[in-house]
Amino acid sequence: MHLNIYFILIFLVISMGGYSQHKISGRVTSTSGEVLVGATVQVADTTNGTTTDVNGGFELPGVSHGVSVVFSFVGYLNDTIEVSEQEKLEIVLAEASEQLQTVTVRAGTSSIDELQPILNELITEKELVRAACCNLSESFETNASVDVSMTDAVSGAKMIRMLGLDGRYVLISREGIPHIRGLNSRYGLTYVPGTWIQSIDVGKGAGSVLNGYESMSGQINMEFKKPEESETWYFNAYLNSFGRMEANVNNATKLSDKWSTGILLHANYLSTEIDENEDGFMDLPKSRQFNILNRYKYHSERIVSQIGIQYMIDENAGGQRGFDFGSDLLASPVYGFKNNARRFEIFGKTGLLYPEKPYKGWGFQYSMSYQEFEGGAGRRSYGADEKTGYFNGIFQNIIGDTRHQYKTGMSYLIDGFDETYYSELTGDLDTTLTRTESVPGIFYEYNFIPNEDFTLVAGYRLDFHNLYGLYNTPRLHVRWAMNNHMTIRVSAGKGYRTANILMENSQFFASNRRIILTESPKPEISWNFGSSITSHLHLFDKPLTLVLDYFYTDFLNQLIYDQDQGSDKLIIYNLQGSSFAHSLQVEAQYELLKHLKMKAAYKYYDVQQTTNSALRPLTFTPRDRYFLNLGYATDFEKWQIDFTWSLNGPNRLPAMSMDPGNLQTNNTSPWYSMVSGQISKGFRWGNIYIGGENLLNFRQPNPIISPDDPFGDSFDASMVWGPIVGRMIYTGIRYKIK
Amino acid sequence: MKKFVVMFALVTIAIVVKAQTETIEIKTSAICSMCKSTIERALAYEKGVEKSNLDVKTKVVTVQYDANKTNPDKIRQCIAKAGYNADDVKREEKAYSKLADCCKDGGH
Repeated sequence: MHLNIYFILIFLVISMGGYSQHKISGRVTSTSGEVLVGATVQVADTTNGTTTDVNGGFELPGVSHGVSVVFSFVGYLNDTIEVSEQEKLEIVLAEASEQLQTVTVRAGTSSIDELQPILNELITEKELVRAACCNLSESFETNASVDVSMTDAVSGAKMIRMLGLDGRYVLISREGIPHIRGLNSRYGLTYVPGTWIQSIDVGKGAGSVLNGYESMSGQINMEFKKPEESETWYFNAYLNSFGRMEANVNNATKLSDKWSTGILLHANYLSTEIDENEDGFMDLPKSRQFNILNRYKYHSERIVSQIGIQYMIDENAGGQRGFDFGSDLLASPVYGFKNNARRFEIFGKTGLLYPEKPYKGWGFQYSMSYQEFEGGAGRRSYGADEKTGYFNGIFQNIIGDTRHQYKTGMSYLIDGFDETYYSELTGDLDTTLTRTESVPGIFYEYNFIPNEDFTLVAGYRLDFHNLYGLYNTPRLHVRWAMNNHMTIRVSAGKGYRTANILMENSQFFASNRRIILTESPKPEISWNFGSSITSHLHLFDKPLTLVLDYFYTDFLNQLIYDQDQGSDKLIIYNLQGSSFAHSLQVEAQYELLKHLKMKAAYKYYDVQQTTNSALRPLTFTPRDRYFLNLGYATDFEKWQIDFTWSLNGPNRLPAMSMDPGNLQTNNTSPWYSMVSGQISKGFRWGNIYIGGENLLNFRQPNPIISPDDPFGDSFDASMVWGPIVGRMIYTGIRYKIK
Repeated sequence: MKKFVVMFALVTIAIVVKAQTETIEIKTSAICSMCKSTIERALAYEKGVEKSNLDVKTKVVTVQYDANKTNPDKIRQCIAKAGYNADDVKREEKAYSKLADCCKDGGH
């Protein structure tokens, strides 16, 4: 810990001391020659950004040769340029279709008033291709703020963590519409193919009220490839050393001046039985998925609209070797794991614009989805479906002038759940859970932007939950640029969500712990407070970015999944006592040599929860994590080499004794490292890549307890703190036709 | 073995010496920073081109190339294929039609 304090001291000293003035400057105008006031200028994949002044002028320090800078403004198309030298830039933004997205809710990028006050990191496609595999859960490999880990030893599912907390406390949306939530909060990340994603916005801490009450620890918004601006054809094929195959085809077609359509297609297949640790269990389940999205977009000067459909079918079969897609779970002589999902969605949005007043507009977005799950593990089966309807309408305008802006509107969510859990284990839960949530809500958000150095966003929303009563959600964000190399942000906000106690704990299906529900679940409620300092400095004439952030999440209620009352049970109840998470992160980004960039981070999590009447560190959550990423890229990505190393500290493991009087509470996992790398060679038409994950071939020893007696009482495959699969090598090709 | 190393070194030096870097300035129809990226990117993947830099104000792109591998005509063709006029070489209309609106005539 002493080391860490030094870290922070050094950081602060450097933060205060730098006065180097390496910067880009210029002016942003519209195609009709108007100056754009308040347009956002941001270095891609960083938090380094500013806004234009009353003359459309800007200065952005801390920008190095070769980086991409994104220019955006409400009601205009984004422009991305690669800085080839430190020069005066004349940026011209075209007025266009993208107004819709800024009018409708987004967690970020192109809308200034949301981008600026929230500590947020934009991951562009250029960054995403640095780690090639495979879906959303793997898209954060080169990002220090989001942790990814395995949930258990049979499902192959990965989960994310932010601020030390489970990803279910993060609001994950697709183009502003809440997407990974409800029943797919555990597996939903794998239902989003990586090649469909154009960019991801990662925001830490409480989000905007426009997006709902669910963002408790952060929000992640993904933008999919846009029909009107993507390449006509995009092909991708991928193969890895486990035998996993993937194929992706994207198409974008302009139908007329105003209409365009896009198709995104994905399929993957893995049928090999991989059992590297020879415990008789497959380390990864066999899997196959087919996923398609088709949407139509219309844009004219005053109306921007789109409607789309998505259909996905995903099947997994794991457990002991020999268990197959078609096997009958409960009757199978070998221990099986099964998770089959189907999802169908219709979604759309419409924006009404005022071309002469780009700050004014209406936005409506909606989504209707149906999803079902069928599966289980061993002698437990689980089946569920969820029907969701969502509507959000927003109006935005100014009060007097653009220094005072507001957004207001209403939303409605209807969400029906039907879950059946059946178990042949004596003493285990055996139940049907049904509920329908109906939640109308209203919200108002005020933005105060007196000058380019200060932004205040104050929002409030009221939701009327049919089952749990009134939700009131205040949120506050303040950003202050102290000088041109240092920005301070603070945020505070309340959040709510309904837990899905079975699906969220489906990793425990792969154990013979008896699931005991002692009371009916109440909604989870938390407060989140955060602050951060971002500095853009120069060290030996090269830009150095330092980010220091601290977040505190305090739960008023939380569903406790108590593994501490004996290794034979999992007891579920509402929080009695306190539960909180402190999260501290120091991150440095620096250009070591020309073309060689480094990102290094240290994270400290102190996450504690009251289980079995005592406050204890949360299980399976490391206290310390180190992260290092090196990226080498020649001009225009002709060659790109990436290397990522992460060092994970010890986790507290649940008590492993069956006897409640003899709990070993000091059980911890060891330190371990994960290393991955990738090399890609660019061509005019795309690129070819080869890479590897878990290159050190580290695996958690004996991840499954009693693998030889899977139907016996002590069997447990949910005690997972490290990687289950060893080294994996992959290769692939991306081919684009403009 | 020693002989081989020496020969290898000589050949390498010969190749390095032989590389004749020349510079040419080409007037293009670029209008904005996006055009600049498009053209510089196209040139980066063109055989023999070592470096290029387009000045948006004057629309002139300065290209450094290896005279043994390419020539000014080929470089102009490459720019035309990206959708831009290059000196007297006319742009390819098909490529031009695919450019973003702000990069087309009257886009500024």
